[in-house]
Amino acid sequence: MQAKRRGIVFQIVLGLIVLALLLPGCGPKVPKDTLVVGIADDIDVLDPAVTSTNSSWAVSYWCYERLVDYKGATTEVGPALAKSWTVSPDGLVWEFTLRENSKFDDAKPVNAEAVKYTFDRLMAIGKGPAEAYPTLETVEVVEPYKIKFTLNAPFPPFLYALANNGASIVNPAVQSKEKDGDLGQGWLSEHTAGSGPYKLEQWVKDSQHKLVLNPNYAGTAPSIKTVLIKIVKDPSARRLQLEKGDIDVAAELPLDMYRQLEKNSNIVVKSWPSLSVTYTYMNCQKAPLDNVKFRQALSYAADYAGIISGVFLGNATQMRGPVPQGMWGYASDVKQYTYNLEKARQLLAESGVATPLTLKYLYADRDPNWEPVGLALQAKFKELGITVELEKLAYATMRENLDKGEFQLAAGNWTPDFADPYMFMNYWFEPQNWGLAGNRSWYENEQVTDLVREAARISDQAQRTTLYRQAQDLIMEDAPYIFLVQKNYNLAWRKNVEGFVFNPMLLDMYNFHQMAKK
Amino acid sequence: MSIGSLVLRRMALLVLVLFGVTLITFLVSHVVPGDPARMMVGQRASEETVARIRREFGLDQPLHVQYGRYIAGLLRFDLGISIRTQRPVIDDLVTFFPATLELALCSIALAVLVGIPLGVWSAVRKDTVVDHLSRTYSVLGVSTPLFWLGLMMLLVFYGKLGVLPGSGRINPFSPEVPRVTGFLLVDSLLRGSLASFGNALYHLILPSFCLSFVNVGVFARQVRSSMIEVLNQDFVRTARANGISRKSLIYRHALRNALIPTVTVIGLSVGDLLGGAIMTETIFAWPGMGSYVVDSIGFLDFPAIMGFTVFVATGYVIINLLVDIAYTLLDPRIRGVG
Repeated sequence: MQAKRRGIVFQIVLGLIVLALLLPGCGPKVPKDTLVVGIADDIDVLDPAVTSTNSSWAVSYWCYERLVDYKGATTEVGPALAKSWTVSPDGLVWEFTLRENSKFDDAKPVNAEAVKYTFDRLMAIGKGPAEAYPTLETVEVVEPYKIKFTLNAPFPPFLYALANNGASIVNPAVQSKEKDGDLGQGWLSEHTAGSGPYKLEQWVKDSQHKLVLNPNYAGTAPSIKTVLIKIVKDPSARRLQLEKGDIDVAAELPLDMYRQLEKNSNIVVKSWPSLSVTYTYMNCQKAPLDNVKFRQALSYAADYAGIISGVFLGNATQMRGPVPQGMWGYASDVKQYTYNLEKARQLLAESGVATPLTLKYLYADRDPNWEPVGLALQAKFKELGITVELEKLAYATMRENLDKGEFQLAAGNWTPDFADPYMFMNYWFEPQNWGLAGNRSWYENEQVTDLVREAARISDQAQRTTLYRQAQDLIMEDAPYIFLVQKNYNLAWRKNVEGFVFNPMLLDMYNFHQMAKK
Repeated sequence: MSIGSLVLRRMALLVLVLFGVTLITFLVSHVVPGDPARMMVGQRASEETVARIRREFGLDQPLHVQYGRYIAGLLRFDLGISIRTQRPVIDDLVTFFPATLELALCSIALAVLVGIPLGVWSAVRKDTVVDHLSRTYSVLGVSTPLFWLGLMMLLVFYGKLGVLPGSGRINPFSPEVPRVTGFLLVDSLLRGSLASFGNALYHLILPSFCLSFVNVGVFARQVRSSMIEVLNQDFVRTARANGISRKSLIYRHALRNALIPTVTVIGLSVGDLLGGAIMTETIFAWPGMGSYVVDSIGFLDFPAIMGFTVFVATGYVIINLLVDIAYTLLDPRIRGVG
């Protein structure tokens, strides 16, 4: 009797499960006014004053507005919240007049008070994003819609830095969410409080972010009403979901997958030159890499074309000097090392460095390209009697070693935060930036230091270009880095998605508000 | 030993285990070169900023002070603030753990439901085709790489046939299920939504099948060998001679005895899965503990790594306790020992 009752219960449970499975199928499909973007990893925090990662900016950038913004596909900034501005002749005082129609998502006005609150908060928190304003002294409200920034020393990239995610204008109402004097960091790390076209409605950790329209947005109402940013870690799964139509845009796929997706008529695959570079640090403070001739020999022994075709599958171009093509200050006639084994052998002999010798190449699995680049260098340097040992460390440990200068050769990437050659010329070559801060080859040349410092003091772009150009000539002779490649940015999306504009300064920050689905 | 005193003794042991685990994890994670403060503020931060963050998080204190603070926090169930997510670690664990546990329990249930009968069948029909097939499956199960299996299943059932969902715990466009327990199956039933329950169940099929694939083999092999041993014992022969039916003999007498070592194996498998099945979670975009821990390790997020270790160690102790309780239920003789 008991067994019979148990059997009936079992059948009921089984019946319920079968019914539940029959009910929904795989669930509703993607609505037309919703854009689904598949990304590889969840983000850390959303607070613009705290996060320094592109993936976080991808979620938060369009939830906020800034005084200025990058225009279209260019690296030029133009009016955004600020409709006009003036700068004093000494470059120290910047005054911005704000638009008066912009509102935060709680309908409060975006005024000079809000701008002052944002920058005071940013500098008080003092984390990574604040580093973009090294000379900012005070921010004062002049009129309800007029704000004044005073710098204690000229900083020509200042205007460009105002288009950074860190300069996103935050609603002063977040102050009411402050806990233990954190200036609202705890709350803002999981919420947005801006005046951009969208606001964050939901964040399911490690699963998805849901952006919905900001009802008070002052600009043109976007066609995409909801943006779903889905975290799909496995690239094959991300690709499959794109092909099946469960996601509309797939980011961060391996290069070979983009090639395969090109064959699918429902998918659009595009590639643009970006301002991101992959290069190799040579520690100029450690023998034998403190020898200029030896560094030049290594620069001639790298097979640039082979690395571009073999590692980057053609999705890159060889760097010509430190400033990438597309950024002002790039010089198309600056010296470029090419693969020339004879020249390398000759320079090695002139350097007086005895071979055979061993060099260690430090890398981590942060970037899948670093290992094959190391292998490519290993194969070619062998011809010179130089054995390259690949040393793979955890990324955090690798960074620690870079910061302390405990390496010989090391893999590296760099992406500029603002569209000014300062990001390359001053960060990479000023001795005050030795270590992770930017000068990762621990390079010093007094002439170069003077030139790049002078270029960072004046605002005239033509003069700055000349100074940076002179510095580049000296640098290329000194060969502190192996200047490898400027990478392409790739993206794949469904054919019915329109309106994406690639801006090299806004990597992974898709212009959802200008996109639409057919 | 009574169940009550067993629980008490284990709880006392838990304190010792946690002390050992925290001390070792703390030392190991702090010996690794790397500066979490620098990871947190970004690459271009100045030395002053890094030093300030170190101070804020107490990373500038001597190790024994940091450890003392940690233990003091632990006693208040405060696992510290994650350096990466900047949220309380306990909140992060509470967020991710239900997803992992739901998947782990489903896959273990599936593995038990298939693995045990398969093992019994294989033992009863030893050296027949059934037995050979079952053993072949067991070897296959143990040796199939999970990432390959997961991708293949995704490709076939989601990509080609389109009959099962490809990622996540529920369709993103389904009505939102308010979080009560964090277990979607439970929460959807609490909300009274059979459709959401079904949708969550749908999403569980591929990852739990994938995870159970290995365990089916492990459990089947364990049950088979135990059953064969038990079936050759005297009491089975006696029972047979007394005319007990074959079904009753296998399931009531032999299997019950053979289950004791299997329960240990099941307990260990649950313990393994609690840490998060990283591969499966990655392939099926399952928001569980696995990726949280991997990301935390990459970031040298000490509080998160420590919190996770404490959590899993506690989980192991509890599972072992449950396994011991299961022994006493399966074998009355054990109740008197101790």
